[in-house]
Amino acid sequence: MPPVEKNRMQRRDFLKISAITGASAALDACGSPDHQLIRFIPEEDLIPGVATWKPSVCTVCPAGCGLLVRVMEGDAEVVRNGQLGLMQMGLAKKLEGNPAHPINQGKLCPRGQAGLQVTYHPDRIRTPLMRSGARGSGEFKAISWDEAMKRLMAQLSSLHSGNSHGRLVFLTSSLRGQRKNIAVTFTGAFKNSQYVEFAFFDERVVRTANAASFRHDAPPTVDLSQANYIISFGANFLGTWNSPVAQSLGYGQMRQGRPGTRGKFVQFEPRISQTGANADEWFACAPGAEGLLALGIAHVLIADKLRPASSAGAAGELVEGWSGGLAEYAPEKIEAQTGVKAETITRIAHEAAAHAPAVALIGDAAAAHTNSLFNTVATNALNALLGSAGKPGGIQFGSVWNSGSGKSGVQESSGAAAVQALAAQLESDPSSVGALLIYGANPVFATPAAWRVRQSLEKAPLIASFGSFIDETSILADLILPDHSSLESWIEDTPDSGSVRTVVSVAPPAMLPLHDTRPMPDVLLDLAHELGGNLATALPWKTYDDAIQADFAALYKEKGSKDAKAADDFWSNAQQQGGWWGPEEPAAANEPGGKSTAVPVKYAPAQFDGNPGEFPFYFMPFPSQMLYDGSLAGLPWMQEAPDPMSTAMWGTWVELNPSTANKLGIKQADLVEITSQHGTLRAPTMITPGIAPDVIAMPIGQGHESFTRYASNRGANPISILAPISVAGTGALAWAATRVKISRVGEGSVILFGASLREESPDLKHR
Amino acid sequence: MGHQWGMVIDLDRCTGCEACVVACHAENNIATVGDKQAAGGRAKHWIRVERYYEGDFPDVKVKFMPVLCQQCDAAPCEPVCPTFASYHTDEGLNGQIYNRCIGTRYCANACPYNVRFFNFYNPAWDKPLDLQLNPDVSVREVGVMEKCTFCLQRIKAAEIEAAAEKRDVKDGEIQPACVQSCPTNAMVFGDLSDPHSRASRMAASSRGNKLMEELGTRPKITYLQRESWNGDENA
Repeated sequence: MPPVEKNRMQRRDFLKISAITGASAALDACGSPDHQLIRFIPEEDLIPGVATWKPSVCTVCPAGCGLLVRVMEGDAEVVRNGQLGLMQMGLAKKLEGNPAHPINQGKLCPRGQAGLQVTYHPDRIRTPLMRSGARGSGEFKAISWDEAMKRLMAQLSSLHSGNSHGRLVFLTSSLRGQRKNIAVTFTGAFKNSQYVEFAFFDERVVRTANAASFRHDAPPTVDLSQANYIISFGANFLGTWNSPVAQSLGYGQMRQGRPGTRGKFVQFEPRISQTGANADEWFACAPGAEGLLALGIAHVLIADKLRPASSAGAAGELVEGWSGGLAEYAPEKIEAQTGVKAETITRIAHEAAAHAPAVALIGDAAAAHTNSLFNTVATNALNALLGSAGKPGGIQFGSVWNSGSGKSGVQESSGAAAVQALAAQLESDPSSVGALLIYGANPVFATPAAWRVRQSLEKAPLIASFGSFIDETSILADLILPDHSSLESWIEDTPDSGSVRTVVSVAPPAMLPLHDTRPMPDVLLDLAHELGGNLATALPWKTYDDAIQADFAALYKEKGSKDAKAADDFWSNAQQQGGWWGPEEPAAANEPGGKSTAVPVKYAPAQFDGNPGEFPFYFMPFPSQMLYDGSLAGLPWMQEAPDPMSTAMWGTWVELNPSTANKLGIKQADLVEITSQHGTLRAPTMITPGIAPDVIAMPIGQGHESFTRYASNRGANPISILAPISVAGTGALAWAATRVKISRVGEGSVILFGASLREESPDLKHR
Repeated sequence: MGHQWGMVIDLDRCTGCEACVVACHAENNIATVGDKQAAGGRAKHWIRVERYYEGDFPDVKVKFMPVLCQQCDAAPCEPVCPTFASYHTDEGLNGQIYNRCIGTRYCANACPYNVRFFNFYNPAWDKPLDLQLNPDVSVREVGVMEKCTFCLQRIKAAEIEAAAEKRDVKDGEIQPACVQSCPTNAMVFGDLSDPHSRASRMAASSRGNKLMEELGTRPKITYLQRESWNGDENA
């Protein structure tokens, strides 16, 4: 039989050779040594080419829209137990809005669409890291999860047992649901611990005002679909403010969804926003004068007997002088301060009264002046007077599901003031903070440089981050324990605006994890069990999904459900449709006849940092449609999507009025220097008619020093030069309260999509 | 007559948010080109939102207008193609056969709407961003012209499914990615050969007009003009 043997050998050789050549051909083609990777057992039930749709929740902003994720089979390089290999698995391919979700009803904004790139980002942290160089150097070495957990445990157990001095501080972005409950409860189990939430756009001023006016510590749910008249003070409600997709849906309906009826929309703001661009009438109003305008309109409504002052109830009583008819806010008296003509104010008041339901909104820069609590309370009173508080076509509040007992006893604080206090504490006594855990927040980028957050964090004895990226804050960490992406995680969310229905979104992971990451709540639960004692009792769940299921059991007990006979059905139905939503019953905006316990607020002119002689311009940062607060600057789709108002891509700019530019001898796309009392930045100009001559505006989002290959060292960060002053009575940063000066430095460039400002770069080549 | 796909865009609903722009990138594997290429005008957006400023401060008005391939019935891009890569499909679309395209760019020059984009380089995705690619849409290589297809892959999938179920495609069953994402429901896609389709009925609106119709291109996208407020409407 030798010939057969020989034959076999030949065939085997042939197969070997062809496998090798085939593999190297593939290697040539795609430049990756795929053939060297082992193959893991493929995921089951995948049919190549056939898409399945899985619910999830969008996490790129606080709106909490529901997602449907298109999942298809593909080969991915994944890490399992420290081993890199190839796996045939379901991969998220496209995010769509979930049509069943009450907030976004199947729709999605550009930022939500781009959320997909977080999961597949090339610069995601793929494994636990330990700092190997000086703090802030960005030098890390990969370690195992065992090692990372051991190191974190060592510090936490000595804090927990009281053997070491100092408190545990957990600094997070705004969290909700069981994710928050676990974080808060974990923190609360430590002596003297502190839980701090920080997000640049946290609507803290609007929340504080709504709590005072309407007893709802939440942003409003705006029902534009039935509104006939919208008065907005600076709120970018079609772009980034509050729940933009829900508001856009209502807006479309308001414009063209009701045959024979088309609502009117009026916007007041010193710089035309993407939302303002859609207004029927746009008025430039002086920064910080929004409350005056609201009360001017209210005065006309009362004085011309269009609405009785008493109809505003408790929300009206919060405004000093309300019952007296607000004579000091007569349109002629506030004309000069607001920059809006008296007859315009009167006309708008009459139009609004004649076209009920009319609704007033306030947000963004209008809610970021030193006097913005007054501005917002005044706007609330106007809503109440118009009869739109708690009514269809007005602002409403849903009842929000609170996960967990909320009785952790932890010192909980939120907002910019809390971060400022933490920084001051670290600066004066670094050892008072035994360990600092950071999740989702990037305060080094999103607070004024004057607060010295970076310098103070540098002094913290131990910083552990759960971040997915090395950003300006996590670069200071000693340990990084990377979280799954939201598509790879169990997810639960309890948004507090966008729908009057109670919304508790939930979804299992839409895909398997790519990297050696672990969900933050699971890491905390593991730590809690190991630390034992009060922690193990406070956090009884084995895993994060156990905790969510327990929350849904509690929800079922309280709310029941018509279409599920048992808690198990309730739980599986919720997972299938992406959550549970209550009936359409808005919570009352205020108890009837209820008196507000808050102290009446009084007008005070907005304060601006810097004297007008030396710093002649108001500096107005604004949220970027694509980059939001800067947290999305790392996504290439967001960098290359043209800004709606300018078509600018991949960079930043400052906007100024043509007459201002003319006076200063500044031309389009010149490089200018913007200086406040607290810092300087450089950026190219964008001369536009949509901005008041005494205002300089700049998008927030660029200017990252270290945040992925796409965002690092690109443009400038307007937050860095802001004055460290807060909105009176709220602890929020008054981010529109800084004055600046401007001077030309030289020629610059702005990358635009389209023809107008196109800069042909001379060395452009093609193959 | 077979299907004639068309679209209606209500400019009174459009807010310029650009959800359509990013949805299109995600659906159609459109590569980002990076800042240097973008500075040279080589960024690719099959759909863009044009904005027009009118007036001086403080009487400023801004209008938004999403512009994508108008799927012209008399398309200037088609007859100029020497290789018949640009052609008219029997469902009225301005098709582009990538494998035939030799990159003369005549079609882009001929198109008055500036909606054709040339690949000056092979597209690249920093790994693992390549995993986001939609397997239903081919990636275009260097030297090839690309453009909006009205999400042909979605049209075909719906037609195949309808044929398997021995029925016609239902009105509203097909949504291109831009239409599906649009937060204000400003875009409606449908069969213009069916007079009862929502798109056909809306296209007949008195607010309707077509972009640069005077060129004789016979576009299949109808824009409904933005309205101004008339207080008496509500009376």
